Amino acid sequence: MTDILLYDLIRGHLLKLSVYAFFIGIAYRFFRVLFLGLPPDYAPPKGKPILKAIEKVLLKPSQAWRFFLEVFAHRGIQYVGGFLFHLGFLGLTFFVPQHAFLWGDILGFEPPYLPQVVADILAYSALGSLFALTVHRIFNPVLRLLTGKDEYLANFLIGLVLFSGLLATRWAGGAYYLWMLNVHMLSACVLILYIPFSRLSHFVYYFMSVFFYGRNVGKRGVSF
Amino acid sequence: MMKVEKTEEIGEREARLFYEFCVASINAEVAAYLESCVRCGLCAEACLFYMGENISGKIDPTLTPAYKADLLREIYKENFTLWGRIKKTLGMGVKIDEKELKEQVKLAFYTCTMCDRCTKVCPMGIDTPRLVGIVRGALTSVGMAPKDLVDATNTALEKGSPLGVDVTTFLQRIEFISEEWEVEIPVDQKAEWLYIPSSIELMKFPSSVAAAAKVFHHAGINWTVSTVAHEATNFGLFLQDREVSKELLRRVLRGAKELEVKTIIAPECGHAYQSMRFVAPNLFPSEWDLKVLNIVEFIYLMLEEGRLHIKKKVVDRITLHDSCQIGRRGGVLKEPRYILKLLAENFVDSVDMPEKNICCGGGGGVVVVRDADYHRQKAFLTKAELFDKTGVKNVACYCANCMLALNKSAQEFNRDYKFISIVELVADALEGGES
Repeated sequence: MTDILLYDLIRGHLLKLSVYAFFIGIAYRFFRVLFLGLPPDYAPPKGKPILKAIEKVLLKPSQAWRFFLEVFAHRGIQYVGGFLFHLGFLGLTFFVPQHAFLWGDILGFEPPYLPQVVADILAYSALGSLFALTVHRIFNPVLRLLTGKDEYLANFLIGLVLFSGLLATRWAGGAYYLWMLNVHMLSACVLILYIPFSRLSHFVYYFMSVFFYGRNVGKRGVSF
Repeated sequence: MMKVEKTEEIGEREARLFYEFCVASINAEVAAYLESCVRCGLCAEACLFYMGENISGKIDPTLTPAYKADLLREIYKENFTLWGRIKKTLGMGVKIDEKELKEQVKLAFYTCTMCDRCTKVCPMGIDTPRLVGIVRGALTSVGMAPKDLVDATNTALEKGSPLGVDVTTFLQRIEFISEEWEVEIPVDQKAEWLYIPSSIELMKFPSSVAAAAKVFHHAGINWTVSTVAHEATNFGLFLQDREVSKELLRRVLRGAKELEVKTIIAPECGHAYQSMRFVAPNLFPSEWDLKVLNIVEFIYLMLEEGRLHIKKKVVDRITLHDSCQIGRRGGVLKEPRYILKLLAENFVDSVDMPEKNICCGGGGGVVVVRDADYHRQKAFLTKAELFDKTGVKNVACYCANCMLALNKSAQEFNRDYKFISIVELVADALEGGES
């Protein structure tokens, strides 16, 4: 009985609260930076700053792969793991069959979702990549210097969400299913709440940072 | 007379002023860069200083570009974010002491040439040179910029050039160059084009000034040099001191206006081009209506217009060293490659994409700072590795500061590369030029 009460609480009030807090927090962080303003730039541009800015927003992460051959030997885990993790995490969040009803509630219609076997592959690869990235973070001297509690907490929360989701979907039988689902949803709520307070909000700043970068590239008339 | 101060006394006042300078430098762009860092550390693998240590078998994680902006990031957080403000209120804020500030000098002045290569590898496009520039400016404002740079800057403010080239010396050097290379150099004539050499060229590479003059005569342009705007370098950029940059650029502006010039031809000098092309319009928004071309851009333009004709190949095999401030941060990348293909039997590029070229190790004023010699030498190993991959000893350059740094480092490591000015090669290759 407790598990059902808990499920109702998480699925109802807690999820709503975390989603609202997420959107308010993210909007606050975005506009707080935006409202800091920019000084005017009177230097005549050599290229097309706005077009370059748009191009970079669309392509910048893939363009970092232009350094693939030089960097791969030292950071192969980050290149491959980072790619697989983002692909898996975003794919699972938005296109896993089990989330379709959730997005249906929010959007008013059920978006298309992936076949279960693809969702499973994404889950395993995301979880494996996250583990590899975390181990790499612990042992690589550069990453160790740059890493704070924030990164480890974020990785732990994401890992918990992925692992509990996988358990609930694939491995938790009978009475354990609802408990596992509760753990999954509770950790997801905490993660959603945590995002605006952490570096996980980098996805918001990505658009700003890369836009400014692209604008500078356009001003200077270079290709990337 | 304006003067940059240097202090040995570092106390609470310096820490406070450093902090205030950083806070005042935050805008939306800077904040976006500070916020978006995901601590992936990929930038380390693009940094010539970090890579140089790696080649020597050592890993120094503090050379990671992202780390160089960490103190600035903390200062930003506690002034502009909710959680940062709470921490500050609870007494858990940033503490800056003498040791911390000295560490910042190493990070910003000794181990970063603001070459911009890290920006290219960063998936978030973080412009670390801009962040390092703020730290440099803050250190300069409290009198902690390296003494060698401060001295050179004060010489520039006082005498007109960091090498002490005043008007008398300038005229003597121009006369010497005219006579030695038998080329006419018009001085203080009303003209459409103003060529401003750097004192590094005048004093250490005078042949490149003579070559520039030959190129201008061949192109048939109406040009001059100026005794008012006789120095193209701008050490204000190295120190990130806005007032110094402005004062040095004011001389350029005054010289150009007096001679009714329309276009300035910047010499083979990275930060000279950067300061006149991208900084000056913002320091003199209503007055600076001058067009600025780097001399390599100028040559490319003249070749396109058919006003210059390369008649012969003057070198067998050659590779190219790009100046970061003219190339990656200035957009002059295709021009030197186009010209070198005309000049050389076999031009071998050292990089698959021009934006990926590696700094000389002495940019951003690093070559001037003796305390940074160790880091410059390590950085050179990265550069040398790139040269060695091409198997070519002739290296074309379009920045005298790069040539200075590369020559210095190559001598220190007994490497037999030959660094050659592109403009000199062009002058040799022009009709009637020397073979």
